Formats: sequence, C-alpha cells, structure tokens
Amino acid sequence: MHWLALLISLLLSSPAIGAPIQAVASFSILGDMVKAIGGDRVEVTTIVGANADTHVYEPKPSDAAAVARAQIFFVNGLGFEGWMDRFVQATGYRGPLVIASQGVTPRDFVDDGVTVTDPHAWQSLSNGLIYVRNIRTALCRIAPSSCGAFTASAQDYSEQILALDVEVRAAVATVPPAERKVITTHDAFGYFGAAYGVSFLAPEGISTDAEPSAAGVARLIEQIRSTGVKALFIENMTDPRLIEQIANETGITVGGELYADALSFPGRGAGSYLEMFRHNIGLLVPAMKGD
Amino acid sequence: MSLDVLWAPFVEFAFLRRALVGAVILALSAAPVGAFLMFRRMSLAGDAMSHAILPGAAVGFLLSGLAILPMTLGGFVAGLAVALLAGAVSRLTAQREDTSLAAFYLISLALGVLLVSLKGSNVDLMHVLFGTVLALNDDALILIGLVASISFVGLALIWRPLYAECLDPIFLRSVSRSGPVAHFIFLGLVVLNLVGGFQALGTLLAVGLMMLPAAAARFWVRRLEAVIGLGMAFGVLSAYLGLMASYYLGAASGPAIILVAGIIYVLSLIGAPRGAILSRVLPARHRVA
Amino acid sequence: MSGIVLDDLTLGYGGHPAVHHLSGSFAPGSMTAVIGPNGSGKSTLLKGLIGALKPLGGTISRDDRALAYLPQSAEIDRAFPATVSELCGLGLWRKRGVFSAFGPTDRVLIETALARVGLEGFARRPIDTLSGGQMQRALFARVLIEDAPLVLLDEPFAAVDERTVGDLVALIEAWRAEGRTVIAVLHDTELVRERFPQTLLLAREPVAWGATAEVLTPANLSRARAMPEAWDERAPWHEPHAHEPPHRHEEHVH
Repeated sequence: MHWLALLISLLLSSPAIGAPIQAVASFSILGDMVKAIGGDRVEVTTIVGANADTHVYEPKPSDAAAVARAQIFFVNGLGFEGWMDRFVQATGYRGPLVIASQGVTPRDFVDDGVTVTDPHAWQSLSNGLIYVRNIRTALCRIAPSSCGAFTASAQDYSEQILALDVEVRAAVATVPPAERKVITTHDAFGYFGAAYGVSFLAPEGISTDAEPSAAGVARLIEQIRSTGVKALFIENMTDPRLIEQIANETGITVGGELYADALSFPGRGAGSYLEMFRHNIGLLVPAMKGD
Repeated sequence: MSLDVLWAPFVEFAFLRRALVGAVILALSAAPVGAFLMFRRMSLAGDAMSHAILPGAAVGFLLSGLAILPMTLGGFVAGLAVALLAGAVSRLTAQREDTSLAAFYLISLALGVLLVSLKGSNVDLMHVLFGTVLALNDDALILIGLVASISFVGLALIWRPLYAECLDPIFLRSVSRSGPVAHFIFLGLVVLNLVGGFQALGTLLAVGLMMLPAAAARFWVRRLEAVIGLGMAFGVLSAYLGLMASYYLGAASGPAIILVAGIIYVLSLIGAPRGAILSRVLPARHRVA
Repeated sequence: MSGIVLDDLTLGYGGHPAVHHLSGSFAPGSMTAVIGPNGSGKSTLLKGLIGALKPLGGTISRDDRALAYLPQSAEIDRAFPATVSELCGLGLWRKRGVFSAFGPTDRVLIETALARVGLEGFARRPIDTLSGGQMQRALFARVLIEDAPLVLLDEPFAAVDERTVGDLVALIEAWRAEGRTVIAVLHDTELVRERFPQTLLLAREPVAWGATAEVLTPANLSRARAMPEAWDERAPWHEPHAHEPPHRHEEHVH
C-alpha cells in the first residue's frame, strides 16, 4: 500500500489543498502586492516591515527562520536588498527566489557621485503591473491548481492599478507644467518623476546628520528661490526648526510625510501599495500648486 | 571684493540676521557670568552645569519634541536642582562643593542619556546637545532676550555679595548672610544662560561662549569690570566672525563661533601684555619713585 | 553693651575639642589678649566668637550683633584684582548693605582710615602689590571703617615690623578709650605684658584668665607649655557631668 501513502503525502504536501502557501517578501510594499494577488491561499511574512529602511536593514534570526520555512521568496531586485545574497546563503533556502522587478526597464541615478541603478521601480504604476505579472506567474508555478484564483485576483488588482494611474496623471495635470517640481531628500522618486513628469530635486546644502553651515542653508534658500519650487519634503533630518526657518524665509510650504521605500503602519494613510500612491499624490499635488 | 562682503550675507538672508542677533545677545549676557565664574575659580563648573541641564531638557523633549518652552523649563529646573543639591551637601557635610557638584552633574547626565535613549535615536540626542544658531525662530529669540534681561538685572542685584565672596569670603560671612543666597542666585544665572545658549549652540558649546571670551580678556586687562567689558566685545566678535566663517567657508555654525572664540584666546595668550610671551619679553620699566 | 559671656564652651573639629570647658567673660570695654602655645585653640576661639563655628558644647552669649573681625590675612584672595580702597570699602557693608552705592563721604572715610594706619596714598594700589605689613595695616583700616563696638583680631601683628606694631597698638588703645571691647590673639608675651590689661592664657583648656600680671606668671606659663598639642585618637569620649567638682584638669584626658 506504499503507493497510497505516497499519493496521500503528495496530496497533503501539495499547496493546492488546505494549507496556505508560506511566502516571504523582502519588504512591505512587495508583501502587500503578494497578498493582494495570493489572497487567502498565501500566507505572507514580510522581512522589512512598515516604516523601516530596506537599504540598511540587518536581518534578524527570526527572519532567517521564516525564510527557511518558506516555500517561495519574493524580492525586489535591482540592488535594493544589498544584504540579500549573504542572507539567502545563510538560511540555506533552496526554494524559488522571485525577482519582482524582472522585465522592468531600469534607470540610473547618481548617488554620492557614483552612478547606480535606481531600485525603486514600483514608483511607476506601469512597472507595478510588471510586478503583478511576475508575482502571478511565480505563484501559479508553485501552486498550479490555484492558478485560476491567482489569475483572477491579479487581473482585478491590475485594473485597480490602471485606474489609479489615470487618477495620478489627471491630478498631475492640474498642476501647471512649470510648477511640477518639489525638493525632497528622498531619492526614491526617480521612476515616479520620469513616469508622471514631476521633478524631484535634491536639496543642496543640508544633509541628514551633519550640522548645517550658513553656507549650506544659504545655498538651499537660493536653490528654492531660483527653481521656484513651492514645496519642501524633508523629514527625519536635521532640525525641524531649521526647516521651519527656511520655510519662513522663502515662503515655501513644508510638506507632510511621503512614503517611498516602505508602507506606513496600518491606519496611517499609506498601509498598502495603492493607498501609498494616493497618499503621496494627495500631498504632492497641492504642495506643487502652492496651497 | 568690496567692503560689503562684511555685511552682505546678513542683508540678504533673514536667517543669518536672526542668528547674529541671537548669538550677540547671548555673548553679551554670558560674558559677565563667565567672568565671575573665572574669578571665583569655578571655571569648570560651567561645563558641569551644562551637563546637568541635560535630563531636564531631555524630559521636555520627550514630552513635547523640540519645543522651546518645555525643554527650557525642564533644563532650568534640572540645573537648579543640581546646584541646590550640590550646595546643600557641601553645607551640611564636610564635602566640598566641587565634589558634590561633580557627583550630581554626573548623575544628572547619566539620567539624561538614559531618558533620551528610551525614545529618541542618536540623532535626537544630538539635537538636544547641539542646537543650531541658524534655526532661531521667534520663540527662541524671545527666550534669549529674556535670559539676557534677567541675567543683567540679577547680576546687578547680587553684584556686591558676589564681589565680596571673590575677595574675602570669611569677612562676608561675618557681616552678612547674603553670601549663600547670592551664590545660589549666581548659579541660577549660570544655568539660565546655559539654557538660553543651548537653544542656539547646544549645551556643550554654550559653555564655550561663556568662558572663552572672558578667559581671553584676562590676558589683556586686570579689573573685573574691564574683563567683563572686553569679554563681551570678544564674544560679539566671535559671533560675527563665526557666522561669516560659516557662510563663506561652509563651516558648521555653532562650532565655528566657538572656534573663533578659541582663536581669539590663543592669540591673546600669545600676543597680549599679560599673555605668555609679552610678559616675559618686554623690558620692564619702572618709575623713579 | 558689648560684652561676651562664655559658659563651659567647647569648640572643635570632627569630635576633637580645640578649646574645651572655657567659662568666663569678656567685660564690655575690656582689652584682652588671648595667648598660648601653638595649637592651643586661640584662632578657633575667635572663629567661635564670631559665629563661624558651632560649639561642640556650652554656650556663647554676646550682647551686640555688630562686630569687626580681622582674620589671618592668608584667607583673602590676593589674586583678585581689587584695590586697597575696595578691600577697605568692604568695611562699610553694615552701613551700606547690599545695594546702595558708595558716596563721596564714604571715599573720605576710607582715605581717613588709611591715613590713620599710615597708608596715605595707597587707596588705588592693587592688593597684590602690598607687603605683608601693608596688608595688615589695610585690614586694620577696614576694622576702623567698620566702627563696631566689638573688635576681634586674629594674629594682627604677623609679618608687621616693630615700628608699625607700636602704631597699631596705639590704635587699639584708642578703640578701648572709645569704649569698644577688644579681643586680640597674640604671640608676643612681652607686648602683652606691656600693653594689654587683660589676658586669657589658653592651652586648649583655660590656664588662667584675668589681669595680665596675675595670668602671665612663670607657673602658669610652664603649665601652658606642658599642654599636649596633638589630639589623642584613643581618648575616651567625654561624658557630661561625669565628674564632681572641684577637680583638676590634669587628671583626665580629653
């Protein structure tokens, strides 16, 4: 009766029946997308949670344990998770490693004088569609019997993304072309800027940790005056009183918190991929118009 | 390069004007306090008190973020508490005040670091320790103005007992009970100036503006009033030149101001009549009678 | 009136008595020298009399609050940039208080006092340029300015030359003539014999107190010299009323 036992164990181990697929996503945005497509059939563990910085994240033993147990592991790729290779090796994970950005046309940016690939591809919604496709394909491969459900969810999700894309373009269109610019310390909006025609300028003169000099502050003020930017999105840096001072002197508005690399905590306005986009647009567009 | 490099940045940028005003007022206020600290041989007490302020400012910061009133109030209360406790211990026991002050400021400092680490990150602690003179909003300027006013009036009131305590403390004790009161008020003024200073320069550098100009002045003049006057002048000069260095050379503003004060000190040490060199090298003249 | 009455007074530091069981009185208008070997508690006694030291036992009763105290000059900060006039000006404290400014009459007062101690023209001199004797004279001038009914002097003639000593003692006698009470700690037995009517001979315990001629007898002086200067760490603690009067002090150790 070995064949019966074999069949039963095969069936029991097949992800299609009963137990949800154990999936791990490297960071919150990706985790949200996987969940949107996988639904109840996938249990998603996220390594870099809400409001955390993936670039400098240091994986914990519990993360390694989650990956070791996982049946499928989603990462962004494009160099976003610099710690990934060593980490995967350490966990001994041999299952499928899905690079969500596969197929995206990458762009470059200059970081500290060095030209690197910009990993924040999801900031363009059309890239988001590519992510959805890759996730759906990977899930179908690992659980073919649920592929129908995955495809339906993916279709639904893609439609929402497309609708959002139209929304975003319409919102940006309400801003006069010459004013479609902001100054922000975030370097994550490259794809967004390219896709929707908004300039994201880096602030000149001040940085996160160093104590500011009068020259630096003056340079930022001059930059604001010369570019005609109306909004400043600089948080988690230097002294908020300094930003206030600059805002007073230039008449510029200091914007709220933008979410670029991670989702917010639930209930804070940017708890999902789609919410995040709406939240950012909700802040960026009025700021650009100078409201 | 015309002469208006000397004032052009201040004309063009409001933030620089405010920085100059704030720093100048602080320099004027802190110099007399620093001079008295020096004459009473309490020069290091200023630094000790600046650390003592920390937990109070930290508590204010934890409760209300980088807001002026809570941090100032908290810092002031903490500083006064340390001064009071140190004074009480030295009067009630055989222990001298420099020891008890050291003990209490260390306790206070450790408490402050602990409190800040509970909520903030390292960056936040730096904000408490190093404010920036480039970010003086209206509240900060008002605070600095208030500190200076109280300081001037306070010093005028306790001038005589302070002076007597410097010159002949035993005599003062024999004629008056105002000695300890004046001493405590004086420490209060030290704390007040430090608390005002930390908004602009942070706790550590605020001491620099208090001590360096007065110490440099001592190389030029002897009399108390002259040391105070010259100390004020050196302080104002440090504020101006420091901000210029921050603008034209891109140096961080607070440290630049204090470094200029330090350069003035070293130059005085080398070049002033009472400094290290001239006092040895100049031929001594004497009158006939 | 400006007398002082002492009742079984014990003064000391850290549980060890520097002066013990001293009873007696300084009559108003008296001029008393306090004399004794080194370590006999003379300075300590003065510090107790001015209220700088709390008694370990016994009481001090003083009629008048106002006194002038001349400390051993080492306790003044010579490095502080004050002039002689400013140093002496401290003597006006009781009259002027903390706030009121000095007027021209005050300046005249200071100049007059300086003249009386032989320091005319010294008003603007920085105090760190004064010799030991000049500093003493300046401090005498300050006492003059204080104009107090009770005057306490701690080693007033240290580092002073003989001619100046003579002048200063004349000043003290003038004070006595003015009805002030003077108490002076001194070293020079001969000087005391010549000029001071009353003497307290102290050797931690009082050896004798009264008219100088009766106090400064060879017997008393040798008793004073025999006093142990060092403190005995193994001495038993003093029990109040533990012994019946009369008793002689040589019989037990404190």
